[in-house]
Amino acid sequence: MITEQFERGSIGRMRLHVLPTKRFKTFSLSLFVGIPLTESRATSVALTPFVLRRGTSSYPETISFREHLDDLYGAGFGFDLYKRGDYQIVQMRLDIINDRFVSSEEPLLKEAIRFLGEALTSPALDNGHFREKYVEAEKRTIAKRIEAIINDKIRYASERCTEEMCKDEPYRLLALGRKEELAGIDAASLYSEYRSWLSEAVIDLYVSGDTTLEEIESLAKDSFQLPGGSPVAYSEPEFRAPRVEPQTIVERLDVAQGKLNMGLRTDIGYASADYPALLVYNGILGAFPHSKLFVNVREKASLAYYASSRLDGHKGLLTIQSGIEIDNYEQAVRIIREQLAAMKEGSFAPEDLERTKAMLSNQLRELQDSAFERIAFDFNNVLSGSNRTGESLLQDVTSVSPEQVTAAANRVGLDTIYFLRDRKEAAANG
Amino acid sequence: MAREEYPQLQETLLHEKLDNGLDVFILPKPGFTKAYATFATSYGSVDNRFKREGHDEVRVPDGIAHFLEHKMFEEPEGDIFSTFASQGASANAFTSFDRTVYLFSATESIEKNVETLLDFVQNPYFTDENVEKEKGIIVQEINMYRDNADWRVYFGLIEALYTKHPVHIDIAGTPESVRSITKEMLYECYNTFYHPSNMSLFLVGGVDAEAMMERIKANQSRKNFGPGGEIERFFDEEPEAVRTPRLVTKLPVSLPKCMFGFKEIPGPQRGEEAIRRELASKLMLESLLGASSPLYQELYDDNLISDGFGYEYNTGPGYSFSVIGGETRDPDELIKRVTEALGRAAESGIDERIFERTRRKRIGSYLRMLNSPEAIASEFTRYRSRGGDLFKLVEAYESLTIGELNARLREHVNPSRMSASIVRGD
Repeated sequence: MITEQFERGSIGRMRLHVLPTKRFKTFSLSLFVGIPLTESRATSVALTPFVLRRGTSSYPETISFREHLDDLYGAGFGFDLYKRGDYQIVQMRLDIINDRFVSSEEPLLKEAIRFLGEALTSPALDNGHFREKYVEAEKRTIAKRIEAIINDKIRYASERCTEEMCKDEPYRLLALGRKEELAGIDAASLYSEYRSWLSEAVIDLYVSGDTTLEEIESLAKDSFQLPGGSPVAYSEPEFRAPRVEPQTIVERLDVAQGKLNMGLRTDIGYASADYPALLVYNGILGAFPHSKLFVNVREKASLAYYASSRLDGHKGLLTIQSGIEIDNYEQAVRIIREQLAAMKEGSFAPEDLERTKAMLSNQLRELQDSAFERIAFDFNNVLSGSNRTGESLLQDVTSVSPEQVTAAANRVGLDTIYFLRDRKEAAANG
Repeated sequence: MAREEYPQLQETLLHEKLDNGLDVFILPKPGFTKAYATFATSYGSVDNRFKREGHDEVRVPDGIAHFLEHKMFEEPEGDIFSTFASQGASANAFTSFDRTVYLFSATESIEKNVETLLDFVQNPYFTDENVEKEKGIIVQEINMYRDNADWRVYFGLIEALYTKHPVHIDIAGTPESVRSITKEMLYECYNTFYHPSNMSLFLVGGVDAEAMMERIKANQSRKNFGPGGEIERFFDEEPEAVRTPRLVTKLPVSLPKCMFGFKEIPGPQRGEEAIRRELASKLMLESLLGASSPLYQELYDDNLISDGFGYEYNTGPGYSFSVIGGETRDPDELIKRVTEALGRAAESGIDERIFERTRRKRIGSYLRMLNSPEAIASEFTRYRSRGGDLFKLVEAYESLTIGELNARLREHVNPSRMSASIVRGD
């Protein structure tokens, strides 16, 4: 496997992670800014990157901000918002080509770091706070995004299942926050929330490309105007036990296809020594086309086009999703529960174990070829306080025994069944 | 084996046309762990009327190319996904208007996986029973798309633009057309379009090109396909006018979705001229509608568009059209504002500075794309099927002139060949 390793440093509150490599035609930068997910702050934190992408002190007009990116050979700039563990994380990304492929006047890496630093720490201001026009426009944008979730029924069902399962925890909130909160936010209040966000958040800058830690240290020092202090780390999330009796939630909308989602909980987290066994468990159950869910729900019973499971090791959640004919609800639930029961009894073929290990190993090797995937993998360590490399996790996965998979299966419990169906009254009581 | 060097891009491409007609391309990426392979046939949803040399002309049910793609994964000994999984490979496939592509990515046993890919696609196994069983799965796939507003508004536009050309037929077909498919029809399509002379294999990643080529040749020489025979495809003549200027679909959505576009009289289908025309069209649309254009910012400020607003230029055998739009509070106002702006630009011409900046941006995105083996494989075969070369696009972009863009703009923006598709809840 590839031997390139991250080099680490820090500047004030910000930790640096640099992956020197000549394999790519680009420099890839990722900035992660995380604070605990809370009811009171989620919406203003979510709104912040939307406003930051409107303009900086050097490029206060959105159009000049975007033209500048175009001038840097169409640098790819974007941001994401997500929940990881009990944190709400803003990720900013910048992907820019290495100068050696073009005839560029300015060193592109330097420009990229300056741009990212300004985008996070030196926004366009009026009268000492964010520009009103930008804040109001982005409030509308975020409201539209929240409302639009229902347009994509797969996404909607998945968000609703999580919301029902986690209704007593901040994790029920969307990473986008709450629409009702937007009205109470203005340019001045958001700016003061932003300043405290910057001074409290865990901040990590990743850079991959033909560079060194020393170069990034000197470039980042001048480009990020962060509040003083030293780096803080992420703390462990709360892992809750599943409900004693799983709850069933049925919701009706105008849909052609029913969406069946299940939420399960485990106390095994990413940093746990048992995590590799849980990964293998999820693989045999539903992560691949050879997995039990795909084979039994789709291939054998022809009930669905998709049927899969997904693991979130940072919060101890496992979710199952499938799109089915509405009348087949009970049959689908029964088949899925049979697969969960089979896993608890250790009833899976040795070939399934081997195939799953081979697929997981392939995924872990493949991610070495993508700068952003390597960054995302390493960030899992930062989040969970672990120290895995692709290679070490691969070895751990390879040595998982059938007994360990069964033990992991018995630490996963069904919590919520969520079914999104049509408005028709069916004979079978959905 | 032919070897083509692209020094500016630091890429080398190997190519060989095998005795059975199969085109094999290998792009070694030293230092990469992974390999990615696509095995593609020039056969998609639009090929619904055709004639194989020495056979009668046939017309097949809508959605059959996609159905065939699903069924290829079944072998007498079971599901091919399991074989790939034991070899650590992740396999998939997709069907588009004019192509069906089978693919895998893997980091180990690459040669073995390439052979599995060739062997399963070259070994059809259809029975009455397994064809019947697939119908339930595909109907669920169709239902999934029926609930998807983005897909409905996009496909609605193509339906509004085209009357005769089969591009307006849903790639997956309808529940009724899918239910009418039989194993005999699948074999007919398979025998027509899956001959090696109608297919190409593209492999990119950390591989030993020479050894790989030998292995592929040995695999192919063990099989006997007979002569390929000419394939004739028939398309009814598409009228110049659009089928309908406006198509409204009701579906629960938070805000209306609106896509509109212009249908072109197809230009050159292949070769350098076709590629230039495609690039000029994309550059023209990006200059006028991209996220850094003045129009985009104006529409955003007036709350007429959201981040999802965008454009696309789609071209293939016998069709080319633009798609412009996204979600909006007021579809009619959006259409009016954009078409007026396009009309003004057609008169005044595109701003020279915007043209230069946009060109630079496109070149940058193109170079970034070359980091992705998946994108390379997909784009390479697409350009190749049109008689172009993906690795020569920088030169093509650099040689485009603003005059060409303006000419493209004036030709493309023709109000009498415009349709709009709207999805709304009320």
